[in-house]
Amino acid sequence: MSKFEYRDIKQPHYRHIGNYTPRKDAKDIVTGKAIFLDDFSVPHMLYGKTKRSPYPHAKILSIDTSKAEAYPGVRAVITHKNMPEPWGLGLPVHRLLMEDKVYYVGDVVALIAADTEEIATEAIDLIDVEYEQLEAVYSAEEALKEGAVELYPRFKGNHVDNGIKYFQPDGPWWQIIRGDVKKGFEESKYVAEDKVAFDKMPAPLAPETPCCIAKYEGGNDYTIWASSQSAHILKLMGEGRIPNSNLSVKTFNVGGSYGNKQSLMTTVLSAAMLSKVTKRPVKIVLTKEEQLMSYEVRLGSTITAKIGMDEEGYVRAIEGDWLVDTGAIADSVQGQVGVGLGEAQLVCAKCPNWFMDSHIAVTNKQAAGIVRGYGGQELNSCLERLMCTVMKEGNFNPLDVFKKNYIAPGDRFIWRDGRWWQSRSSLFFPEAMQNAADRFGWGEKWKGWNVPTSVNGTKARGIGMGVIGNADINEDNTEAIVRIVPDLVGSHRASTAIIECDITESGMGTRSNACKVVAEVLNVPVEKVSITEPGTKYNPSNYGLCGSRGTITTGKAVSLAALDCKRQALELGARHFKRSVDQMETKDFMVYVRDTPELSIPMFKLAPKELSIVGYGKHMEMFNIPSCMAIFVEVEVDTETGHTSIVKVAGGTDIGQIIDSKAVEMQLHGGFGSACIDTAIFEECILDPATGRLLTSSLIDYKWRPFNEFPPYDAYIMESQIDSFMFKALGIGEISGAAGASAVLMAISNAIGVDIKDYPATPAVILKALGKA
Amino acid sequence: MKKQYVTLTVNGREYRFSIGDGFGQVPPSETLSQTLRKRLQLTGSKESCSEGACGCCTVLMDGKGVTSCMLLTVECDGRDIVTIEGLEDPEKGLDPLQQAFIDEYAFQCGYCTPGIIMAAKALLLDNPHPSPDEIKEALSGNYCRCISHYTVLRAINRVAGNEEDHTAVMHRANDDVENPIPVREELFPSPYAYGVPGDNALE
Ligand code: FES
Ligand code: FES
Repeated sequence: MSKFEYRDIKQPHYRHIGNYTPRKDAKDIVTGKAIFLDDFSVPHMLYGKTKRSPYPHAKILSIDTSKAEAYPGVRAVITHKNMPEPWGLGLPVHRLLMEDKVYYVGDVVALIAADTEEIATEAIDLIDVEYEQLEAVYSAEEALKEGAVELYPRFKGNHVDNGIKYFQPDGPWWQIIRGDVKKGFEESKYVAEDKVAFDKMPAPLAPETPCCIAKYEGGNDYTIWASSQSAHILKLMGEGRIPNSNLSVKTFNVGGSYGNKQSLMTTVLSAAMLSKVTKRPVKIVLTKEEQLMSYEVRLGSTITAKIGMDEEGYVRAIEGDWLVDTGAIADSVQGQVGVGLGEAQLVCAKCPNWFMDSHIAVTNKQAAGIVRGYGGQELNSCLERLMCTVMKEGNFNPLDVFKKNYIAPGDRFIWRDGRWWQSRSSLFFPEAMQNAADRFGWGEKWKGWNVPTSVNGTKARGIGMGVIGNADINEDNTEAIVRIVPDLVGSHRASTAIIECDITESGMGTRSNACKVVAEVLNVPVEKVSITEPGTKYNPSNYGLCGSRGTITTGKAVSLAALDCKRQALELGARHFKRSVDQMETKDFMVYVRDTPELSIPMFKLAPKELSIVGYGKHMEMFNIPSCMAIFVEVEVDTETGHTSIVKVAGGTDIGQIIDSKAVEMQLHGGFGSACIDTAIFEECILDPATGRLLTSSLIDYKWRPFNEFPPYDAYIMESQIDSFMFKALGIGEISGAAGASAVLMAISNAIGVDIKDYPATPAVILKALGKA
Repeated sequence: MKKQYVTLTVNGREYRFSIGDGFGQVPPSETLSQTLRKRLQLTGSKESCSEGACGCCTVLMDGKGVTSCMLLTVECDGRDIVTIEGLEDPEKGLDPLQQAFIDEYAFQCGYCTPGIIMAAKALLLDNPHPSPDEIKEALSGNYCRCISHYTVLRAINRVAGNEEDHTAVMHRANDDVENPIPVREELFPSPYAYGVPGDNALE
């Protein structure tokens, strides 16, 4: 049998798919007309502010709100003492929104609603609180030790429930137990054991701070406008926290989220509670400082593991323990752990023997929440560093090892739902890795482990790579309706197609891509397709933008809905012209006979007068199409100063089919943002252990990469037409930079000749490793 | 004597505000960003950090880019302000920068975009042909977390008349494949205009 090659893949020609189509909201964005939450207000609205704890762990002895209540313009002050109802936080619920205790710096002590933001801010200082400080814990390791101070009665020994029904319908799943590790290590030629921590819990830091407006509508009903990338998730979580409630959630353009602005639970519950008490809409917009100090960050991750590799470079056994620090609130963390463990199996897909345990702990730090990478990135940052240790042992070229071990069609793995899946994704991931590596110049630049590519005075260059994949890109169900709406004036050109689907725009262009997909199916101009405003109440159900699922799941639902419309139009046309359905064709809202195009009729004439042709489509969850992203970096380290700069980056993937050429390129570039690649060099939240407070509480103190420091980026994309949905595409954004941090550490280690295992590798870390500090 | 009024020209229109703490007055502590966004409902420029670090609130003041969160409105008396809303010419349409941002898809979430466009505009007003390095330098105070930097630089370099920016390149594997096998001959505009045998998408 001859080898199936990339060139043998049938490549389609599309009218819209694969090209660049300016986004529907492009003009609004460049002219400042696009509406974000803070640009919007509701009549009779109040402004909410939060009095926050200055201590990481303390008991509230007394709280005096009388001065704040008497302050002109203040409409309500709520504390743990006068909460109208005990609303909980966490999954499983393990605490209340406000208690007589505080668990992290920035925890909610009191809520204020006032006529203006200024009044609310001033009133915060008028609340007098007396605290009794308690001992605090700052790492999962400490928190899980016997005798450690316990945060919540719900979590004995600070140990968070391993699994949760929502993520694992068949029962909790938190360990990979496969094969026989003892035997696996015996079969391994190279074994290495090590511990790596990715525990500085960096912040994704969207430019738009988390914000919402809550309006209590009476009874159990609330309307929530939120800067959430997924109205559905907000509704789901919110209704679980506010007993018996009914939330109608609406969203606008979201000013960056990176997975981080989904349920916004603390903020939403705060606004909703103030609204319930004041009976007026309440807006809460976090300040940048609040976002940095108290909003959700990445999980802390520490892994101790032993890896065995055979002489060909296949991973044969992995045994380890993953400690996860979720900060002071455990919300969706079990899903992240499940995805992390799943992703580990994609990278080491040929490994038959596993015993990988995990433990989640609560600590007295700001909560870790959902962030692009979703557990996988945090685990990968540690695991691939460990793989380096064993690859070095066997003196393997990492490119060969990653190519060999990455998941191929037919390989099996356990995903975060605790179930077995078998990949039916691309055959060409190794080829994508190799081709991207060639463009990067990997072959010439790789000189061996801990050997620099070049040295020029004090400047040493080194290269590194990482690979990651995600099988979440098909997760959760979604449905959509497409309607071909007749014009009322009798011109077929005035017909339009409307997509009913709940999709928010948070920067990925998903709304416009849905229009593009429908335009392709119906064979009409993209301008003729529009999509309903995002919101949970009047749209068919869509789980929202998470796990890079937007492309496939909404793509599938809307394309099937459009196809349903089209089928009906073709059938109506066939009946009209007395032909068979396969002789019919559509274009620009006309139905015609293919070989006799003169026989054509506008669609609206085929449908009953005034009525639309309506189609329905849905996507059902599955986890058997993993994506893949390989990333290559070259760094230059100044061995005098310890300063590292990235001089070149390349990325490689097989994405199935490009939906929008420019959008996909930026998805890859996004790997520099949202606390990905740069968590290996300078991005971190710096905690002052004496006070439990962050020293990085502003955009000046928290380090980020400015315009003049972006290195060349070379992206390589294959399109092997993966069987995901009609247009064969995969989602990629979530993982584009997720393996970047471990790649950078590999590159730094090679440049300076010493293994670096600390995130981030700041000048201090590097000088210490070089014995210069 | 303390000033009683502050006069600003915003996007060509003159506004006179009375200064004070009374209802409807501009208090001395009000920032230009607040006046523009809340008082004049010019919500195009964004406020992200409120401390001069992100550039999201950048507007033009007498043709120079300023971070409006760092200026007090009372200190802007007599100044001429242009916000992102004032960049589009009602007759000629979009500013070339705005058009280039659309053509190059130089944004993702778009939250940083008004600030970046105004910062770039300020640069181009000062120097219509800045070098690629001058452009990067001029934008170094603008925060963008979606990482639209590469496409932003493409767009601005284009307007500045520079050569195409190749800091980032994207290579499609299909370009390397000679004669890829087409799904069908290009007889019809869309392959999904009708099905082919075995095309399970249609089943
Ligand atoms: S909001 Fe003005 S510079 Fe950040
Ligand atoms: S486009 Fe989102 S921050 Fe720049």
